[in-house]
Amino acid sequence: MTDSNPPFSGSGAEPLKKFCSPYYKNKICPKGLNCGYLHKLRNEVECKAWTDDEDFFLGLVNVPENTKKRPCYFHKFGKCVYMNNCKFSHDLENLEDKQPDGAIDNIPSTSGQHQLVNGEVKTDESEDTEGACASPPLVMVNNRNWADAPEFVPKQKSYAEVLGPTEVPTEENLGCLCPYLSKDNNCDIPNCEWIHGDCCDMCGRFTLHPFSEELRKKHQKDCLRQHEKNMELSFAIQRSKSKTCGVCFEVIMEKSPGEQRFGILPNCGHCFCLTCIRKWRQAHQFENNIIRACPECRVTSDFVCPSMYWCDTKEEKSRLIENYKGALSKKDCKYFKKGQGKCPFGNKCFYLHATVDGQVVDVGPPARQRRRRNQDANMEVLQVMLWDFIDERDYPWVAFEADLEDLVSFFTDSDESDWSDYEVFFD
Amino acid sequence: MANIAAQRIKREFKEVIRSEEVAKCAIKLDLVDNNYTELRGEIAGPPDTAYEGGNFVLEIKVPETYPFNPPKVRFITKIWHPNISSVTGAICLDILKDQWAAAMTLRTVLLSLQALLSAAEPDDPQDAVVARQYKENVEMFRLTARHWTNAYAGGPNANPECDEKIKRLVDMGIEEHQARVALSSYNWDLERATEQLFS
Repeated sequence: MTDSNPPFSGSGAEPLKKFCSPYYKNKICPKGLNCGYLHKLRNEVECKAWTDDEDFFLGLVNVPENTKKRPCYFHKFGKCVYMNNCKFSHDLENLEDKQPDGAIDNIPSTSGQHQLVNGEVKTDESEDTEGACASPPLVMVNNRNWADAPEFVPKQKSYAEVLGPTEVPTEENLGCLCPYLSKDNNCDIPNCEWIHGDCCDMCGRFTLHPFSEELRKKHQKDCLRQHEKNMELSFAIQRSKSKTCGVCFEVIMEKSPGEQRFGILPNCGHCFCLTCIRKWRQAHQFENNIIRACPECRVTSDFVCPSMYWCDTKEEKSRLIENYKGALSKKDCKYFKKGQGKCPFGNKCFYLHATVDGQVVDVGPPARQRRRRNQDANMEVLQVMLWDFIDERDYPWVAFEADLEDLVSFFTDSDESDWSDYEVFFD
Repeated sequence: MANIAAQRIKREFKEVIRSEEVAKCAIKLDLVDNNYTELRGEIAGPPDTAYEGGNFVLEIKVPETYPFNPPKVRFITKIWHPNISSVTGAICLDILKDQWAAAMTLRTVLLSLQALLSAAEPDDPQDAVVARQYKENVEMFRLTARHWTNAYAGGPNANPECDEKIKRLVDMGIEEHQARVALSSYNWDLERATEQLFS
């Protein structure tokens, strides 16, 4: 079947802001450069293939006559979400004529058998101009007999196949890789006419395009990046695997799923699980300088940085901490409330203090004097308020919970010298 | 008992059993009950001190909030030491109070107590009488501590002179421990001890 109207193709159409699902799942998209969906994964830079490589693609493929060779079964039952953009024919009259007995018997194994004759099918352009599909297709439901709906017969492969028979390559997507290649490189289609790529020695799949150097390079680049990511992750797991918490003495990666997180202290290299180190830092029975100190070496740290993995080197640690602070600084402070409220932590707060129009406000240093005078009473109030501060979010490396005990200790700490490190950040 | 406390004590218990200090008989740890809330520790008197040769038994109570709070430790064996009450066995040691850290273990506590025996802190006393004696007359303190070690902790260094004085008070109908406390408090001055006991 032909993609006669190319709204999703690269030939001049506006890109859709959607991720390409086959690409997202398998990193292979049968449409290759001609796919109008975004060929990128989350956190990845957008792949420019759909525009940059347009010339290549256009040169390779002759855009055929705008023909819709097969009827759209979804449209038949008034449910086609693609409306005018559907790759299948929405010409119901022809559909009626040619396939009066429903679809079950009409499963073509190869192309050609059940295609409508070109001349009988309206081209997409004509549909567009006439606005034939502009009226809600649901109207058609009334005209249809539900008894004609394709029924599921177990001997068939799947309901999807009943409805949408196996695609065969058309002239337009001749240059594309076989979309039916499974993960173990088997293609179920007998005498498959799609291109089967060369084996990529990195991922072991037949995904290297045989003659598009561009696509080959892109796949290899993606593969390499994925490989590097995987390596980094496995190193992180490797170095974290046997680390035990200095408080509960348990292997952190073997704790219950919710507790498999490290609490990294910025100023020393001792290892704790996030739960334990936070609990220790919240202990009220000790002086602040005790609980803010590492339980092992007594070196004080101003905050705990949550992490999924252990950091061995200084570089990893500083990167993690930067990420953590960076992530928090993008989040609105729940006390500041975009200018409506007042943050007790002032400009020492890790969170974003910005007004509704996005302007960042310097709220000055926290009001500490009043607090010190009546520290105990205020601390209690603060604690109650701070529980509201906790916010759950998921992120692969950094957990975004408010370090409330850290913020408290920021406050009650009388040693101002420690704060100097953070001035840069808070500015 | 909170799960974390029991879990940790279990681990620590295994750790102590395997530790080299146990191999050298310097410390020992036993369970008193099966739910790991109460243990019995034992430390050997450090060599070259008045406590050498003695074995000091400790009562260890693990709070539910352990390890975020220190264990409650006291001497069961009577001991003459400025930082340990000669009456109750209560210990004055910062790490068992405000200087506790969650990474400390029963093993480190026992070793700290052993260190305390060899390095008393008379300026931060638990037992004022002992601390005063330590500051005013270290020799007399050593003699007394050695005698107490011999009498209560199985120390080898008996002091016949002290034993004789105690025996004389016991003969007067004074209970032995009471007599020893009185004599120790008065630098083994029999007359003043007698005076105090009968006043």
